[in-house]
Amino acid sequence: MAKNIMALFQYQDDFLNAARKLKASGFDRISLMTPIPMHDAEKIAGLDKSPVRRFSLIGAILGGLSGFAMATACALVFILPTGGRAIITFPPFLVISYEMTILIGVLSTLLGFHIVSGLPAWRDKPYRMETSIDRFSLVVGFDPDDDPALAEKIMRDAGAEKIIQVEKPE
Amino acid sequence: MSDYREPTYAEVNRDILRTLLETGSRYWIVFGITATIAIVCFYIPWIYQWHVGLGASGQSRSDVWGTYLSNFIFWIGLSHSGTLLSAVLHITRSGWRKAIYRSAEAMTLFSLMTAAFFVLIHLGRVWFVHWSVPVPNQMGLWPNFRSPLLFDVMAITTYLTASSIFIYMGSVPDYAAVRDASTGLRRRLYTIFSFGWRGTAREWHTLGWAYTFFAVFVIPLAVSVHSIVSWDFAMSLVPGLHHTIFAPYFVCGAIYSGTAGIVTVMYLLRRCLNLERYIREIHLDNLGKLLIALSLIWAYINILELFTGWYSGSSFQYEALTYKLFGYYAPLYWEMILFCAFIPQLIFWKKIRSSWNIMFVISILINIGMLTERFLIVSTSLPRKFLPNAFGFYFPSLVEISITIGSFALFATLFLIFIKWTPCVSIYEVKETLKPLRRVE
Repeated sequence: MAKNIMALFQYQDDFLNAARKLKASGFDRISLMTPIPMHDAEKIAGLDKSPVRRFSLIGAILGGLSGFAMATACALVFILPTGGRAIITFPPFLVISYEMTILIGVLSTLLGFHIVSGLPAWRDKPYRMETSIDRFSLVVGFDPDDDPALAEKIMRDAGAEKIIQVEKPE
Repeated sequence: MSDYREPTYAEVNRDILRTLLETGSRYWIVFGITATIAIVCFYIPWIYQWHVGLGASGQSRSDVWGTYLSNFIFWIGLSHSGTLLSAVLHITRSGWRKAIYRSAEAMTLFSLMTAAFFVLIHLGRVWFVHWSVPVPNQMGLWPNFRSPLLFDVMAITTYLTASSIFIYMGSVPDYAAVRDASTGLRRRLYTIFSFGWRGTAREWHTLGWAYTFFAVFVIPLAVSVHSIVSWDFAMSLVPGLHHTIFAPYFVCGAIYSGTAGIVTVMYLLRRCLNLERYIREIHLDNLGKLLIALSLIWAYINILELFTGWYSGSSFQYEALTYKLFGYYAPLYWEMILFCAFIPQLIFWKKIRSSWNIMFVISILINIGMLTERFLIVSTSLPRKFLPNAFGFYFPSLVEISITIGSFALFATLFLIFIKWTPCVSIYEVKETLKPLRRVE
């Protein structure tokens, strides 16, 4: 028996209907692939607020603090007295903090993207190149008590253009 | 346009990937010319300057900043509209951004790279650049973070990093499209570039969130970068530079110059890569309206600069302004006013705003004016500070003029490499603007 079934759809409403019906019939291991971002597909996949935002926030805070710490440390290691001004001076050091807030915030958002999305994922997974053009694809994985024939029927009834058995693990 | 037919999804892939996968002889000829000019006019004079020292430039004791610094500000300025405009339009969900933002962001990236070169060139002994980075060295030197020059190091490093990530992340789904359309080595390379992207709901969802956060970070960053560049000047006490208006003046000028740069790039992409179906009149119209608004703000700030200089009652400021308006470089000043304040007002006419050829010429004139503006900032202030007996005069040397010309060729070369590496129009975002693929309408 194939590990997964993949269906290609020409129309996004057929694709979304199939995904909803599969969910309603108890098939939880489904992957939805689309050529463009689709909020409805994300909703069906149960995705709401992304944890990426935590990476951004924590990165930004750490960046701000480390920027100030770096400027302070440099000022203390190499003391340059200028016109009786303080060695640790807030206005210029806040500029450094500001830039570091953004730098580390951006880098940690990038890290968050990779961790949350699971990319890079170069190993072979179920995929059809039509998905990057104009087709919507649905991959269904099965638990031992699932009925693959039922899943196939749901997708065919919803208007799947092509149904393929795939051995590759999702 | 009445005869406009919306492309299908497959046509979008075909048309845009064609610009990347099919390379004709015309491309190689243009690439060869720009690369040769970059080597001959940019790198060779720079290497010559390494050997003979900064004396090869026209800089001297009283005018220690010349075209290297004015070109640096110009290129930083040109970088401003791309990423900033893209981020602002992404946050405000403006649909018209989608066809033009990729190339605008690339413009940002390559302008920044060119600008960074000018810092190194101006440095003279470029092999000591690591002294501006807080790393231990044998002399126990550490950077002084109270200096605006160090603010610059931080700001530009951050901007270059953030802009690179912003454009790369936005391109990942399109790299997957290139991967799927190619074979052999190119396919393997784009498999790596695309991180194995498949377009799953999770991938799109995470990219959407991350991209929005990148945009949120980039907007204040872009504003801060040119403010900081302005502080390199305004925090000095030099008459003609010591103005509080300089930060908004620089930011406005940067966005103005960058928007004009986008018009130039869009014109060339549209003409040379046959992208008329994607880069359309609506884009030109919106960019034109933006240029009008920016030209008015820019003109207002210029008037304000004159007024505050005069109203300050400082004889030094007054002298600096008089020299700018009526001195040796006065023709350049009035050329700048003509190109950046008066000529752009023509864009008020719809007929002019919708003509690609006229807008192309106006965009070039605006950037000539902006290059002049940056040159005047440097050349009319530093050589004429307080004491007349210390007054000098700055005129760029042949090496400086050559490097300035070469920098445009360098930018063009980098951009030509880019259009063969990344789809210059975002495939998936253009598809988002099309009619959805639904069975039931």
